[in-house]
Amino acid sequence: MSGKKEDLLKKLADAVVDMDEKLTVATAHESLAEGLDAYEAIDGGLSRGMERAGQLFEEEEYFIPELLMCSDAMYAGLDVLKPHLKTTGEKKGTVVIGVIEGDTHDIGKNMVRIMLETGGFEVHDLGRDVPPRVFVDKAKEVNATIIGLSTLMTTTMDGMGQVVRLLQEENIRDRHKVMVGGGPISPGFAKKIGADGYAINAAEAVKVARELAGAV
Amino acid sequence: MTIAAMKPLERLAAYGRGESIDRLPCVPIIGNTAVRVIGVKVSEFRGNGRLIAAAQIASYRKFGYDVIRVFTDLFTLAEAMGARVHYPTDETAYLAAPAITGVDDISRLQPADPRRDGNLPHHLEAMNLTVESVGKEVAVTGALTCPFTTASFLIGTENLVRLTLKNPQAVHLLCRVALESAKNYAAAIIAADCTPSLTDPMSSTSVISPKQFREFSLPYLKELISFIHGHGKSVTLHICGKTNRIWDDMIAAGADCLSIDNDASLAEARTTVGDRVRIMGNIKPSEIMLQGTPEDVRHAVYDCVALAGDSPRGYIVASGCSLPTETPFANIQAMIDATAEIGWPITLEKLARRNP
Repeated sequence: MSGKKEDLLKKLADAVVDMDEKLTVATAHESLAEGLDAYEAIDGGLSRGMERAGQLFEEEEYFIPELLMCSDAMYAGLDVLKPHLKTTGEKKGTVVIGVIEGDTHDIGKNMVRIMLETGGFEVHDLGRDVPPRVFVDKAKEVNATIIGLSTLMTTTMDGMGQVVRLLQEENIRDRHKVMVGGGPISPGFAKKIGADGYAINAAEAVKVARELAGAV
Repeated sequence: MTIAAMKPLERLAAYGRGESIDRLPCVPIIGNTAVRVIGVKVSEFRGNGRLIAAAQIASYRKFGYDVIRVFTDLFTLAEAMGARVHYPTDETAYLAAPAITGVDDISRLQPADPRRDGNLPHHLEAMNLTVESVGKEVAVTGALTCPFTTASFLIGTENLVRLTLKNPQAVHLLCRVALESAKNYAAAIIAADCTPSLTDPMSSTSVISPKQFREFSLPYLKELISFIHGHGKSVTLHICGKTNRIWDDMIAAGADCLSIDNDASLAEARTTVGDRVRIMGNIKPSEIMLQGTPEDVRHAVYDCVALAGDSPRGYIVASGCSLPTETPFANIQAMIDATAEIGWPITLEKLARRNP
């Protein structure tokens, strides 16, 4: 079984990396039929594939189209495996994520959401054009470990600082870590507005989120 | 001629001929910042060529940069083909909905008619009025969004990038109709005595691979640029984000000047393509121009000139991309002033004098 199990996990990961939605779904079914634990199949198969895809993206082997297709395959496999989850595994943390008000570019945010979900985080996606107040309210509601803010436009960067200020005003700044990212954002800007973390891309975002979640 | 009296057109022409000039050409890429110069709101530009012209002329007169570009947002061409654009009161417009939702509708798309569709007639009016007023002394350009980027606004960005892998033929059909629109608009811009200024953010290798660029963007860029060359105009091509792996292709497409963003290295551009094309760039629009001080801008100009000021086919001091609307006037002025301070000829002594 253990050799077979390793084979299946590898096949799942490879299918995601190869952007093969059909093979991912078929392998997910096969894994269940072979008695593989659904959580293990997600964590050791699909997530591992997505992680490798993220790495290829960092190495400029993969680009946005490939990453999107990998995530399509990953989600298709997830649909098969999710109903069979006995436990949700150990959750790394809860993230509230969205694109700040005034901006509707959400490819980057979607990439980060995908990477966080596959990285073991529970993610609440508020979508795009989200007012600062909504981030704070949602973070309180779901007791979020991390608030993730994204923007591609320089015009909306101030909204990120506004989220931090709202947390301070309500004396809950220490309850939620704030991480920021997006085209015009720099580590310097993140520091200036008092954010806890900055990530340059989606793969990096998972690492930063893990660090921040560990520190809460 | 007293050197201080050089007008932008004279300066560019003399620089092109390798003659003595007063300073390098300098282009802070102004977009909606022009509204701030005349104290109106961004959304007032919509459907108002007269106001766009007034703002662009006032902005040029205020700062004295070397190229005027009529530009409000990237969506004008897609809007003229049916995409829905949202206009916030005082911020840059954004895409509310693509023109079509699926590949079945591609055949419904028609090339834009610049004299009739969307905001194109108003932008053309702005170009006409600007040329009438200051066209004798400064180059006036009209922003032209390139086929691959317009295609992304026609069917939605995520859709388009998926289609590059799933249904290449559909991408080609979209780029083809976007190219026809771009050619129509380019012809109208040239008829207004202006030069098209090409912008193509989605063709960046921050988004697609060099291979995908060659397959889906390059052929259409080539046709567009050759069309513009056929009308006797030279072409500046701006692609945002990372581009070093496609510089050779941008040159193969026919670009005479590459406008590079701050994710690309000016030093690398100077070394690898400086002998074949003019280079412009790449002061950080957000970190330096928007958030920095005039002194930060000054240092950035010195850095850029030190890296590329001696580029064999010429160098233009410029921001890496369009400036954010709220870029402080003092920073725009500092860019021109620093370029003038270095002056001409550019010498190591002058560049070493950066610390007052």
